[in-house]
Amino acid sequence: MKINRRKLLSLIGISPAVLAGVPTFAEPAKKNGGRGSVDTGKIEVLNPKGLPPAIQLVPMAPRVASLDGKTIYLVSDGFAGAHRFLNQMAIWFQKNMPSVHTIYKLKAGGLAGDDPKLWAEIKANGVAMIMAYGH
Amino acid sequence: MEVEKLGIPTAPIVTIAFEQLAKTNAAQRGMPDERICFTPHPMTNKTDAEMYQVLMGKDPVTGKPFMAEVIDAITKPLSADEKRTGEVRPSTGPSTYVDTPENLQRFYADNNMSDFQPIILPTEEKVEWMLKGTSHHPDEIVGKMSAAQGAFPEWSYTVRHVAINAVMAGAQPEFFPAILALASTGQTAIFSSTSSFARMAVVNGPYRDKIKMNYGIGALGPFNDANATIGRAWTILSKNLGGAGLPGMTYMGTTGTNFNYNNMCCAETEDKLPDGWKPLHVRHGFKPTDSTVSIFTGWSLTNVCYFGLPYHEMITHWLTHYFSTNNGSVNLVLDPTVAADVKAHGFDSQDAFREYLIKNSKTPAWLYWQRRDKEMAQAKQGVEPFASYLKMGPDADIPVSRFVPRRWPGAPPNSPLPETIEMIVMGGETNTYWLGGDFRYTGTTSIDKWV
Repeated sequence: MKINRRKLLSLIGISPAVLAGVPTFAEPAKKNGGRGSVDTGKIEVLNPKGLPPAIQLVPMAPRVASLDGKTIYLVSDGFAGAHRFLNQMAIWFQKNMPSVHTIYKLKAGGLAGDDPKLWAEIKANGVAMIMAYGH
Repeated sequence: MEVEKLGIPTAPIVTIAFEQLAKTNAAQRGMPDERICFTPHPMTNKTDAEMYQVLMGKDPVTGKPFMAEVIDAITKPLSADEKRTGEVRPSTGPSTYVDTPENLQRFYADNNMSDFQPIILPTEEKVEWMLKGTSHHPDEIVGKMSAAQGAFPEWSYTVRHVAINAVMAGAQPEFFPAILALASTGQTAIFSSTSSFARMAVVNGPYRDKIKMNYGIGALGPFNDANATIGRAWTILSKNLGGAGLPGMTYMGTTGTNFNYNNMCCAETEDKLPDGWKPLHVRHGFKPTDSTVSIFTGWSLTNVCYFGLPYHEMITHWLTHYFSTNNGSVNLVLDPTVAADVKAHGFDSQDAFREYLIKNSKTPAWLYWQRRDKEMAQAKQGVEPFASYLKMGPDADIPVSRFVPRRWPGAPPNSPLPETIEMIVMGGETNTYWLGGDFRYTGTTSIDKWV
């Protein structure tokens, strides 16, 4: 099952939301001034969904015009096999873009944890990060 | 994404199995156009040569050469959409829906708002009835819940929201305080992990009898209104109040687990505890007269009967040879007859029994040497005790318990040690059975405060 941009944006409410719960056929209640049965055979029921937080859109970082002579960090999130995959990527850079310098790092904090110390190092010494495998 | 915020262009790489999850997660965190690159799945067991071939191949989502995609991700200038700022408020739909009962049953299922079994339709009348089960104001915020803490945003919810979900599960108003207590923990019943997490909810205190919970014959089965519907409500509310349970997006358990239907909701058989043994909630700082619900998280349970040994010895062997997704903590569910046998062999408290189990259980060599590269290197250099362990051979049981409490890596040095062996007494005494599983005790919360 693929997910396109339209559907993706719908997930965050930019267009009619799907993820948060939009009806597939039941109609929203009209103003009826009453409760329970509103038409013969029809009843009014409550939406059981909670309150998702507002989403602050985050602009992406400006991209690097050229990687020539620059340093890229290859960062593993600790997922099994990620370090070997990134090692192969370092070899790929050596063969195909030898002017690019790569540094391998294992992120602290596991899959979802933050690692401000490493981010600061990348900010100081590198121009970009490639991370594997996030999920 | 945190790195992008610091001004560092990033190319996250994700395997194709997680496409929906990755894109949904990026959108929910405010970066719907994040430049995620995809590889085939799975990658874990590929050889180095196979991994290199992946780099030389194509992104299975876009069909573009993979490394060109990666380079583009960090070098291609940003589009206007990728530079967007501002706030988006996700919609959860209208507050009410109107249709026939038959269509509404289908509607809740089709929109993943139920557990796909028939529900009680939450009319305003039914919800008002449920709200009579608590003194709390319907608009009071109960808590926040995420499909997976740290990975997905937290949703918030009120007493009324919880009541709607409790009605759908078929609960009675007198069960509502227990459901509110579960909701107040913020712990989802359907945590998103590829490992298919399950939960267990154990009620203690006078409330068990007030709502006639089953802690006797078949307590973990479909034989009691309160056990059934409190547990079911936790799952339904986790979907609707925590945004959990959308397969491929906010739920990734590869096989899933049937435990998620009811979360093994039960009560402890406190009146059959051996002398000196204390109820679960009392061991965690509550008074015997308090009513509480305790939560365990794990994956699986094993059912064990008599094997010709006293139970304390049998359980020790089981601890040595049992392995599962989690090898660092276990839970035991002891029928009162088994607990009585353990007590008869001199264990005057659960703590004494736990200490014995940690002291006497071992670890199979094949399991011990996993992820102990440093110790293996020391063993080969003759450093003790590792050298002796290595000499014992691959089929030996190494005299080190997997259940010695250890702090998580990075935990503060003075933080409490995690529970590694927790137990409850429960069952109808029809035979000397016990259950052992890989569930970890995660906490106890008050039900009384939600009455």
